[in-house]
Amino acid sequence: MSDRYYLFSGCLIPARLPYIERAAKFVLDRLQIDYADLPAATCCIEPIGLRSLGPDTWLAVTARMLSMAERDGRGVISLCSGCHLSLKEADHALQDRGKRSATNGVLATMGRNLSGSVETRHFLEIVRAQGQKRIEELTKAPQGRLRLALHPGCHMIRPSTVLGIDERFSPRALVELARWIGAEVVSNPDWPACCGGGLSGTDDALSMAILNENLDRFKEAGANCILTPCPFCFVQYDLKQKGEGIPVLHLAELMALAFGAHPDEIGLRYHRMKLHI
Amino acid sequence: MQKAKVDPALDAALTLQDIRAELSRCIQCGQCTFVCPSGRYGGIRVREVMERALGSDLDLSTDQDIWKCTMCHSCSERCQSGADPVAVFTILRMLASLKGNRPQHLIEEAKLLWTTGMSFPRTGMTKKMRKELGLPEVEISAETLSELQRIIDRTQMGRACLE
Repeated sequence: MSDRYYLFSGCLIPARLPYIERAAKFVLDRLQIDYADLPAATCCIEPIGLRSLGPDTWLAVTARMLSMAERDGRGVISLCSGCHLSLKEADHALQDRGKRSATNGVLATMGRNLSGSVETRHFLEIVRAQGQKRIEELTKAPQGRLRLALHPGCHMIRPSTVLGIDERFSPRALVELARWIGAEVVSNPDWPACCGGGLSGTDDALSMAILNENLDRFKEAGANCILTPCPFCFVQYDLKQKGEGIPVLHLAELMALAFGAHPDEIGLRYHRMKLHI
Repeated sequence: MQKAKVDPALDAALTLQDIRAELSRCIQCGQCTFVCPSGRYGGIRVREVMERALGSDLDLSTDQDIWKCTMCHSCSERCQSGADPVAVFTILRMLASLKGNRPQHLIEEAKLLWTTGMSFPRTGMTKKMRKELGLPEVEISAETLSELQRIIDRTQMGRACLE
């Protein structure tokens, strides 16, 4: 792993969920990670909708951002599973010489170039790589009251051959992290389920049907909080649940709470589904 | 907006030939349909779309099924024969959008991307929350935006939806 990173927060988090950015920076500071915001960042050409309007647009836009990290000798940390998939899949696709050369042809018009591979990491990987001992040492406020339903989300896992973060069946990373900070896990999917977010705006009834299947399972398991490393899944659970609902935390928020952040400091008051702690 | 000038080299990297290779690997086993969260509730029927695409029995100027995929990658992950439905749908959607078949909200998203550099709008609430949390304002410089627009101009997105 690199010892210097750029933090790429994407669009959804900085614009609508800045409290997740606040929490992630709290955690990265506690972990003493050397990071700075990715300069001159734009949207990653999100992989659910925009990418299919221009797969070559996606390659050139992501290559432009990767080229800045490469130039400055840094890896990239993403807080969003969509952004992470965009950057990681692009880095993978650009190993193809034809695609790389075509993409660099576009970058050349702005004096940029991407020559090799850039280390791209999901926030979850950075935290997990610290290991159990270090996470336990940094945990000032064990989260024993939480009975977590884990929602890894599609793009932390799939395509597993490119992402390589976790097992495709019954993933372990969130289970380990939850246990290291003292929380109980009451539901972990064998096959990480979709939250339905990709159909929000295209077919809302279909999107809700998919979301509700997950919620029924979480309720049956007796969960009092949902944990996800993805802001799109977070939005589905925080904004689309009807009535009482189960509160949801992004992984950065859970880690920040465990490391001693005050709920106000990381803006938990902005959640629609309130976590009563 | 300016008329797009598609970079021929990039354009050539993505054609129907890419799909044909993937499609011909499909053995119609139906595993994709079995794991599809959308199909379970009446959305896209993955195996059928793969079959119809191979038989050129898919009208891309009107087909709505291709827009009902959540892009969860379950089908491609489970596929035993090396076909990659997600890659196929991505290209089918691109070809459909070139024929004017795409959801309106995606066009709005692309326009927002063009004008702001981001795919979610920054609002008064964004400013308020970031200030209260001690975070700097989100700034995208004119130079950054101009670089992004130059890329869009020279690639498919410019041709597909911003002409």
